[in-house]
Amino acid sequence: MSCVVRIASPLRSYTAGASSVAAEGATLEEVLAHLERRFAGIRFRMIDEQDHIRPHMRLFVNTTEACELSASVHPGDTVHVICALSGG
Amino acid sequence: MTLSSAERARYERQISLSEIGLAGQERLKSARVLVIGAGGLGSPVALYLAAAGVGALGIVDCDRVALSNLHRQVLFESASLGRLKAEAARERLASLNPQIEVIAHALELRSGNVRAVLEPYDVIVDGTDRLSTRYLVNDACVILGKPLVSAAIHRFEGQALTYVPGRGPCYRCLFPEARDGVVASCAEAGVLGVLPGVLGAIQATEAIKLVTGVGEPLTGRLLTYDALEMRFREFSLSRRPDCAVCGEHPSITEPLEAGERCAGEAAQALGGVLRLSPAQLHGLIEGTREPLVLIDVREPDEFGIGRLAGAINIPLAELAGRLEEIPRTLTPVFICRSGRRSLAACAAALSAGIQAPAHLEGGLAAWAMEIDPAFPLDPPGGGAA
Repeated sequence: MSCVVRIASPLRSYTAGASSVAAEGATLEEVLAHLERRFAGIRFRMIDEQDHIRPHMRLFVNTTEACELSASVHPGDTVHVICALSGG
Repeated sequence: MTLSSAERARYERQISLSEIGLAGQERLKSARVLVIGAGGLGSPVALYLAAAGVGALGIVDCDRVALSNLHRQVLFESASLGRLKAEAARERLASLNPQIEVIAHALELRSGNVRAVLEPYDVIVDGTDRLSTRYLVNDACVILGKPLVSAAIHRFEGQALTYVPGRGPCYRCLFPEARDGVVASCAEAGVLGVLPGVLGAIQATEAIKLVTGVGEPLTGRLLTYDALEMRFREFSLSRRPDCAVCGEHPSITEPLEAGERCAGEAAQALGGVLRLSPAQLHGLIEGTREPLVLIDVREPDEFGIGRLAGAINIPLAELAGRLEEIPRTLTPVFICRSGRRSLAACAAALSAGIQAPAHLEGGLAAWAMEIDPAFPLDPPGGGAA
């Protein structure tokens, strides 16, 4: 099942600058695992060693916040990766 | 607070909006709004709020105007170079609208002064470029019960969120914690000059709405803006019951500094961090007697543009999981663009038991200025702010 993942600007060094990429998975965990296979290291920027979403990152499925990696992702969904920004 | 005839004439087009009217304009005249940071965001915020007739406008900034500010910090002009931003802003805003009071706070917000600085104001607008200050201001606003209009920018993207006490989530509900070193600043990542104009105008709009009571504030919603796609998006947010500052059992009851400064102070407090000037590091590298390992903690794309000979790349966000790659027989010298991320890396290394880590003070930007003017920091034809 395919979804689109929108990549936070600070993480685009992993996706060769791409702002959105296609991914597979029925849960957030599966989607991130698929991303990791394509873009090594990107998952660790979002998820810590205890499998928690890092406190400066937020993940949304469409417009709803996903607090757990078990959150469902359906075909056609968009997963948004949002990162705290420091610039002013 | 009634309006003079001159004020009625000045604000005529705004007063003619039925939603604002004379009553709304008088509320603006009575209002005290504090703008934190006279940078890319603070510039349009302050200009629009001054023009709109906010009666008392405070400007907090301890920096001086630099040439690289001028492509986005439209409060200033070339003649402002070297001046204190708060003072230059006060003059410019007083010139734009002599009928308002502008208060310059040429200071750095710290835990010791944040209450006193924020207390006299009704609405706070956060345009700082430091996450540590962003959290300090958020926490102070929650504790003091002040509405806060936040925004932040990065390259071509921006975010905005309004906090109204008792009505929705705060910034810490959105991002419970973040450190400056983990997220690149405008100086490190670059920023489109007009980007903060868009976000700053949104912040000014929110401040005017809060003061006049018009419309629906941006509470419980994160607004994001992508300039490259020219697309706004909105995400629903809820207050976190476990939020450290606005939650049901807050652990933060006083505004304290966090983030980068904590990392830096922790490193200093622990001792043993060697701060190398570019000349000192150059001497150590040339001497070849010191058993060094150069660890560049920038992002891979930054590393790809230019690197010091022999340096290895471990981005700061990956450092905690890759510390075993650092040979314990060598002295690690952490390097980044500005010296901010490398200092945070030293703190992480110390916490992991690595003795005497070093970092390049001023980063590769200082290296390029003092040692190697040809050192590439930016992609060809590009350039950070």
